[in-house]
Amino acid sequence: MKVGFDPKAFEPTSPLQPRRGRPQDFARVLKEAIKEVNQLQLEADRAVQDLALGKADLHTTMIALEKAEISFRLMMQIRNKIIKAYEEVMRMPL
Amino acid sequence: MDIFTIMEVGASALSAQRARIEVISSNLANIHTTRTPEGGPYRRRDVVFRSEPFGRDPSARWVQGVRVIRIVEDGRPFPVVYDPGHPDADERGFVRMPNVDLVEEITNMMLAARSYEAALKVVATAREMALRTLEIGR
Repeated sequence: MKVGFDPKAFEPTSPLQPRRGRPQDFARVLKEAIKEVNQLQLEADRAVQDLALGKADLHTTMIALEKAEISFRLMMQIRNKIIKAYEEVMRMPL
Repeated sequence: MDIFTIMEVGASALSAQRARIEVISSNLANIHTTRTPEGGPYRRRDVVFRSEPFGRDPSARWVQGVRVIRIVEDGRPFPVVYDPGHPDADERGFVRMPNVDLVEEITNMMLAARSYEAALKVVATAREMALRTLEIGR
């Protein structure tokens, strides 16, 4: 069947997939996720400033805020998972 | 986070339709303008859209956003009305009016507003998808 696009485009490219090579520790995974989220928070901040200065559109600002919110929620989910895994390990009887 | 690409494509449509409404607002504001800096009556303007590939992922080049590449002037002739009292009337009393048609502009404005709403819906859907997906972990 011929399709007009590359089916590979639908393969998941989640940033949460474990990267090949060196295994990562808890702290680094968390730190990287937070860095990404922080970047989007800063962008949202800048978008609000630009809107106030008349340099940006209303929708650009709203979308930047949405992105920041979604990535923040993603970070919270990641944090919950990591904490859960950590607690699971700590509960292991030695 | 490719759901953001959907949002950005939606944002490009929002910008484009907003520009279209801007041009329409200018046309409607000048529906009776007989003097312009270039001389002559106001000439109706229209936007030209072009699609362009979107997103950082090179394998998804078929995802197309939209952009306003040009604002063109309408070449239709100016309608001529008889109004001898008008300061811009010629010696026979005829005035050249802008080639803006009220019904046409209002129709275009409604279309642009609906297109804008459609793009908003796309952004809202992308947001909904993302938030629902995050509920997998709960």
